[in-house]
Amino acid sequence: MNEIFTLALLFSTLRQTTPILLTALGGLFSERSGVVNIGLEGIMLFGALAAAVVTQRLEVPFLASDPNAQIWWIPWVGLLAGAAVGGLVAWVHALASIKYKADQIISGTAINLLALGAPSLVLEYYYDNSTSSQEVVNRLPLISVGPENLSPLVFLAFLLVPVIWWVLFKTPWGLRLRAVGEHPEAAETMGVNVIRTRYVAVVISGLLAGIAGAYLSIGFLNQFVKGMSAGLGFIALAALIVGKWHPIGVLGSTLLFGFASALSIQLTGRNILPVPVVQAIPFILTMLVLVGFIGRSRPPAAVGKPYDK
Amino acid sequence: MALAPWMVPKREFGGVGYLITPFTTVNPQNLELPASLGLGWVGAVFWVWAGLMGAASLAFLQPDPRSRSRALYALGAVGVALFALEAVLFYQAVNSANQAALAGGATRVPLRRFTLSLGAYLGCFYALALLLLARVQLPGGKAFLVRYRGAAVPVVSLLLSVLVGALLILVLGRVPGVEGSSLSLREWVALKLDLITFSFQLLFSPIYTLSGWFNSLQQTTPLIFAGLAVAFAFRAGLFNIGGPGQITLGAIFVMIVGVFLPGPGWVVLPLSILAAALGGALWGGLAGWLKARFGANEVVNTIMLNYIAASVLLFFLASNQQRFFGYTLYLPFKAQGFEAKSLELRPEAQIPLMINLLAPGGEFSWAIPVALVAGLATFFFLRRADLGRRLLLGGGAAVLGYALGGLIPGPTLASDLVRDLAASKLNGSFLLALGVLILVHYYLLRTVGGYEMRAAGLAPRAAEYAGINLGRKIVLAMLVSGALAGLAATHYVQGGVMDEYRLKQSIPVGVGFDGIAVALMGQNTSLGVALAGFLFGVLRTGGLDLSQQLGISRELVTVIISLVVLAIALGGLLPRYFTDPLKAAQVETEAKDEEAARTAMRRAG
Repeated sequence: MNEIFTLALLFSTLRQTTPILLTALGGLFSERSGVVNIGLEGIMLFGALAAAVVTQRLEVPFLASDPNAQIWWIPWVGLLAGAAVGGLVAWVHALASIKYKADQIISGTAINLLALGAPSLVLEYYYDNSTSSQEVVNRLPLISVGPENLSPLVFLAFLLVPVIWWVLFKTPWGLRLRAVGEHPEAAETMGVNVIRTRYVAVVISGLLAGIAGAYLSIGFLNQFVKGMSAGLGFIALAALIVGKWHPIGVLGSTLLFGFASALSIQLTGRNILPVPVVQAIPFILTMLVLVGFIGRSRPPAAVGKPYDK
Repeated sequence: MALAPWMVPKREFGGVGYLITPFTTVNPQNLELPASLGLGWVGAVFWVWAGLMGAASLAFLQPDPRSRSRALYALGAVGVALFALEAVLFYQAVNSANQAALAGGATRVPLRRFTLSLGAYLGCFYALALLLLARVQLPGGKAFLVRYRGAAVPVVSLLLSVLVGALLILVLGRVPGVEGSSLSLREWVALKLDLITFSFQLLFSPIYTLSGWFNSLQQTTPLIFAGLAVAFAFRAGLFNIGGPGQITLGAIFVMIVGVFLPGPGWVVLPLSILAAALGGALWGGLAGWLKARFGANEVVNTIMLNYIAASVLLFFLASNQQRFFGYTLYLPFKAQGFEAKSLELRPEAQIPLMINLLAPGGEFSWAIPVALVAGLATFFFLRRADLGRRLLLGGGAAVLGYALGGLIPGPTLASDLVRDLAASKLNGSFLLALGVLILVHYYLLRTVGGYEMRAAGLAPRAAEYAGINLGRKIVLAMLVSGALAGLAATHYVQGGVMDEYRLKQSIPVGVGFDGIAVALMGQNTSLGVALAGFLFGVLRTGGLDLSQQLGISRELVTVIISLVVLAIALGGLLPRYFTDPLKAAQVETEAKDEEAARTAMRRAG
């Protein structure tokens, strides 16, 4: 057992937590404003795709002369592209659920379904391969911490927790956002623009999920692989419920799931538990925790309900 | 219309074609046409169309709605006739050119693949739109549209998704066979538009051929199960997004019973089908129970169960030894060899292919098709009768059809029909799907339990107040929903669709997600689910042609299906009175009041 619980497991936990945390923090904005965003999983995939493809296409002219050319700005542009595409897809969800008052679960599901098929078309166009992109040479840089390296996005994710806490609970905009999610009619009466607040919140959720996706494709790995988010977006949603829609709670619950994922990676190939069982651990844990926490966790009152003036 | 190609008299397999537009031809690869082909009328017909459009614009300026509508009706009818004339002229021209070539000593016809193209179709759509507009111009036109909103939203959603799909092809599709630099802009536009039209012609092409129908029905079978599963849960106010997991569990249960249960076929076959339902019910019911007992959201839980089911499948198929803390567990499920697949099902547990059902002993019989059509038609046309009588009469008609159909002499075994049927993997699971469809329809609409289920879905608080046990309804709904999804496994594992009668790791469980689109498109009704399932079955079949001939990923179909879901969530971008029942009722009442006022006026005046 000692060889499992090592410093490496701690770093692995941080790495595994990052995409879940980023996505869950995004979901926090969206749900606090009253819009369920079950499409986060799909948005993550779109973000990952955009980041990988943009990075790879940008470096093509530089790689012609030097196949290992490191250009510092290329991965950052890729990251921005991932965030932008995430925001764009989220905007579609916002349009559906705010302007057209669609069923938010169905609209989000449509985005997830789209993320199952659409990447293949793009990949086929650029790479004649429907399951993965070419590998990128210019990954996001790493920062060495003690014995290991971490992506700067890891720091960003954890830094965002206090920032978002401060924005949500200490600024007027945060107060308005929460009011919109709890009682949009009352907020409107007090002069808050409910529609605009919700649009902004949903797009922010897409930006963060897009960054999480970019982290997967050009931070964690160095290419886009079909279905690479593998349920992290849904786990993030569950983490949001378990974390009671509060940044600090979300940090705690995502660390729990990050730990479960890290543990399942550590356990793989050690002949302690069968690989399929190990792979299922994060999902089983999610269900157990969800069941255990229900009743004590209260969502924003207006979540999932379209706002009708 | 002026830019788009009108017809393609000759097309190569890879999609390259000889395009004819009203003013010029586009022929990037220098295909040769027979000199006898006469299509000189295309330019003239274009001016007729232009005249028609001008006349339609003038008709809109008419102040009186009645005469406006009359003019539009007439113009629309002319347009449809014009389109029909175009089609007839085109097919005649091609045929006579082919005949001339054969008479001239050619060994085979020079024009085998030819189609009308976007320009011609646009005219047809325009004429149909005129007809619809003509109806809307009349008093009560809006109410007319609203009355058919059940069909309007899915149809408009499909059109929107096809439109977005067309944009995707426009951006991502490569014009086959030419380098872009040598093209003029006009040629490039024509070729791109042709690529779009040809792609959608391929997607919907299974409708035109017998083999396409059989293959589409084969693809429809699991979609019906998956669609029913989602629709059933929707009716009870639940969203079952766990189709993939439920199908996986159903497949595992089928495999266990089908491989290891000895016995005669009449015991093993029904038991293995029940096992499929049981496996799915277990997975769906678990999510239902967690919701009823702990209030855990069924959406998140069914998604988690999808991932867990994938692991369970891997557990059974990846290896015959699994190690737990140093102990080794030996499993008997995986077949020898590298590939992750189970042992073969016993012959008793296999569902026969349709060709074996329809041609038992080598002789084709119309008994089953006639019985099916008679039974279904009777069931769906006796709307007025109560359910017991409908079932009884439907069953009677089916039996009668079976007896009479057996008397009709069947085609010989060498016929196209038999050959195409044998080539498709259409199997007995299709009949099971139709049977389940009717049972669900009966349960939901004609029984007390089904009524309570729908009440719980429409207004849970009110239902609870009326004495319905909500918790029990939730569990039951998810049990049944899961069972329906699980039954899709009979198609894959027992029907031999995956080329072998085994459970494989590559079992396409994603069909569980497509069930969401089928249910939404079918408006959660059984007939709607059947029709939507068939539509998506056609698209999935056509998607194979698409990727073979044009190299456009068949994932385009997945994209179109998910866009349908999105568009339906958006209410097809139609005005609110199409999607909101209250507003729809308002429109209809207004129309009725208006009508009443008008009759009163007429009587008085």
